[in-house]
Amino acid sequence: MDALGSLGAGFAVILTAQNLYLCLLGSLIGTLVGVLPGVGPLAAMALLLPVTFTLTPVGGMVMLASIFYGAMYGGSTTSVLLNIPGEAASVVTCIDGHQMARQGRAGAALGIAAIGSFIAGTLGIVLLTFFAPAISAAAIRFGPPENFSLMVLGLVCTLYMITGSPVKGALMIALGFLGAAVGIDVVNGRERFTFGFVNLTGGLDLLAVVIGLFGVTEILANVEQIARGAPLAGRIRNLWPTLADWRASWRPILRGSGLGFILGLVPGGGPVTASFMSYALEKRLSDTPERFGKGAVEGVAGPESANNAAVAGSMIPILSLGIPGNPVTALLLGALIIHGIQPGPLFMTQRPDLFWGIVASMYVGNIFLLVLNLPLVGLWAQLLRVPYYILFPVVLLLCVVGTYSANKNVFDLWVMLGFGIAGHVLRKLEYDLAPFVIAFVLAPLMEQSLRQSLVMSPDGAMILLQRPVAALLLAASALLVALMFRRKPINGGGSP
Amino acid sequence: MFERALNVFWVLLGAAAAAYAWTLGIVGPAGPESGLFPLIAGLIIMGSGIALMLMPSQRAEIFDFPRGAALQRVIGVVLGLAWLAIAMPYLGFAIAGVVTMLVLLRAVERVSWTVSLGLAVASVAAVSWLFGDVLGMALPRGPWGF
Repeated sequence: MDALGSLGAGFAVILTAQNLYLCLLGSLIGTLVGVLPGVGPLAAMALLLPVTFTLTPVGGMVMLASIFYGAMYGGSTTSVLLNIPGEAASVVTCIDGHQMARQGRAGAALGIAAIGSFIAGTLGIVLLTFFAPAISAAAIRFGPPENFSLMVLGLVCTLYMITGSPVKGALMIALGFLGAAVGIDVVNGRERFTFGFVNLTGGLDLLAVVIGLFGVTEILANVEQIARGAPLAGRIRNLWPTLADWRASWRPILRGSGLGFILGLVPGGGPVTASFMSYALEKRLSDTPERFGKGAVEGVAGPESANNAAVAGSMIPILSLGIPGNPVTALLLGALIIHGIQPGPLFMTQRPDLFWGIVASMYVGNIFLLVLNLPLVGLWAQLLRVPYYILFPVVLLLCVVGTYSANKNVFDLWVMLGFGIAGHVLRKLEYDLAPFVIAFVLAPLMEQSLRQSLVMSPDGAMILLQRPVAALLLAASALLVALMFRRKPINGGGSP
Repeated sequence: MFERALNVFWVLLGAAAAAYAWTLGIVGPAGPESGLFPLIAGLIIMGSGIALMLMPSQRAEIFDFPRGAALQRVIGVVLGLAWLAIAMPYLGFAIAGVVTMLVLLRAVERVSWTVSLGLAVASVAAVSWLFGDVLGMALPRGPWGF
């Protein structure tokens, strides 16, 4: 009842004209940046951070948080329609969502994504409301060895979603590690793989890599197909999910909600890992895994639910412990500090108005997003009617602007182009590109956790086996690898 | 043939990365050094490359390389992006973007001059307004101020 009472106080804080307006504005901006390829929630939040200085801490945080979860809703749109993830957590939605669009079922994919996002988001916030203290206490017990082992497990799970050879998948993961190692080593300031080239000292930009691999590669594949007389998409039919879609989706939505929430809690988890793991889970549980990669609605429902639930989960460490689990929550942490608030274990008791106001705003924002997204499903689906010869140059411009705007560095455009060409060739040779990206994102955290783990113990790497949770996670990873090489290979499908 | 060559490339890349990582140091007095993680990555790449060389190919042997009109379109897109990267700092986003779209629509897609010009100007204006004005992102400007 304490939680309900506190939540009621939170609603009293949020239900003012200004805070509701800011919540709606943040939801709209979040959806917009989610829809637009190359402009993720991080860039949008960074751009709008100065705007929050003129607002109250509650108003500012409500707006920034609503951009975060709004982007999760909007990110599915371009994944489904254009096979270009609006943001990183929607990468996996490309796989089956875009296949559904190509089969004339874009509306069903977008509808399932929106409603699944709403259900998962709401369930995640309910869990956040009632279990925040206990869950955060458990999550804080994770040290570097557990974090490292968890990320290993996450990567092993990504190998499960590969439709082709797991060896090629492992190679892509290692390439992701290598790509992420380019630049200055933050521990000792030593340059790695820069070869004296100044533009590489900052490392390869994630946005340039992702847009190259998933934006440019898709454009190259499509212009090639069109030349052979294969249209991108036919007439759009079945704008809303069918009863069969619902029957197939409700379990993945619930599973994605639980999985996403748990993965959101732990550092290195968050929406991106949650969506990948949910996809892997749904594929493993499916009686017909061969449908995945060819337009399986479960491949949209699970990941889209998981990434929204992960947003709620990732708010727990940041609000109650002051520990960011991903770059977006790190920015939220920075915003709180700029507003003179020190997040941590005392935050909930010292600033209950802010803590519960943010939680209450997430309930309200979720409703705003459902109302904003569902009626607009048809509008977004109309994009597929635009001839591709008009669409692709515009998408190309968006890719360029999205890549350039992150660092204002033309070199990133060359990185984007290089990864676009490489991705096009690798896709033709049946290499899955998704493991590369997830490894590229996780590599800095993994390396840091590994190095910290090795420093922590005089026994070196044995610490990973001496800590029960870390050992359990590694054992689970080893078991999955063993099972993976014993499974029957699944042919067909494709990477986004 | 192409796939086999790529597998050899993976082995060489992995070996080179591992060798370079070794020069960065693996473990020092203060603990793990900068080369440890790249060394692991390099060894995985090399091992995977060797495994792929030894395994029978699971796909068609012939690399599906684009030809004719398809190749022209692919090259057109690549050159268009390269042109944008080269020209944007000097001409600004607006002019470089319009020229790129015009060339892509005319040369690659064979759209009429009028439609190409209209689409190019409208698209660049819309993207500039959205990113430049609404989202406040500073896009490169040419000497003429846009």
